[in-house]
Amino acid sequence: MILQVDDPCDKCEQMLQPFLDRVLTDEERQAAELHLQSCSYCRARYRFEEKLRMFVRQASVETMDPQLKLKLAALRTPL
Amino acid sequence: MSDTAHDEARRLAEGARDRVRFEEEALDLADQVYSVARHLSGSKEEAEDLVQDTYARAFRSWRSFTPGTNLRAWLMRILTNLNIDRGRRKQRSPDTQPLEEGDYYLYNRLSDALPETNAQEDQVLRRLSQNDAVDALSAVPHDFRDVVVLVDIGDFSYQDAAQILDIPIGTVMSRLHRGRRILKKELADTVVGDGQSGGGE
Repeated sequence: MILQVDDPCDKCEQMLQPFLDRVLTDEERQAAELHLQSCSYCRARYRFEEKLRMFVRQASVETMDPQLKLKLAALRTPL
Repeated sequence: MSDTAHDEARRLAEGARDRVRFEEEALDLADQVYSVARHLSGSKEEAEDLVQDTYARAFRSWRSFTPGTNLRAWLMRILTNLNIDRGRRKQRSPDTQPLEEGDYYLYNRLSDALPETNAQEDQVLRRLSQNDAVDALSAVPHDFRDVVVLVDIGDFSYQDAAQILDIPIGTVMSRLHRGRRILKKELADTVVGDGQSGGGE
């Protein structure tokens, strides 16, 4: 039985979030990029994650009731 | 008018002008503040109350804001403190809970449920609706959700989120990573069904 302690895709998966957050060291980022170049499995998942984040952000935009805006303005100190 | 009375009048006028400017700048940010508040609290009504209380307090204590610093983060700090004061969370954060799906989990679950063997990310993503995202987010436990909402929706830096929530930056990072994974697990469960119970449509 082969113990895959160092599966490169597992490593790549662990770097996904810090990679997209741009907090990897140069070395780590290069290692991830090198792996991504040759691995379509990880590449698809990285692209998905990037799009997912955008999707969640857009889906979460909530517009405020105009009434609330008026109430907030009414809280201002009278001149 | 004597010189001192004149100075005094001018100082008052300047103070009033600074306050007006502060209030206007704060109000310009209201949409963004509300959007974040909506996801930090449980309902539209709660979010509206929270935003009103935040602005009432901000207008009262405007002098404690340092001009030139991040007003949006300053407002958000008031808001999160109020939110916590309301006792919305006394639950201990489940930091040590074992569950952990990896970061590829959602993609794998969604693509497994697609008939094509060669599913593209776009097709996978198309399986998600706006409501799915909002519902999944609301299912993430508060401590994690606060960080995910501030960073991924509010677009605050790790540093800002740390100051707003008054927690160390390392905690921001670990909660963010964990929170995003929980979010993806929730999304997968919503869209494909939770695990074993024969998902797929």
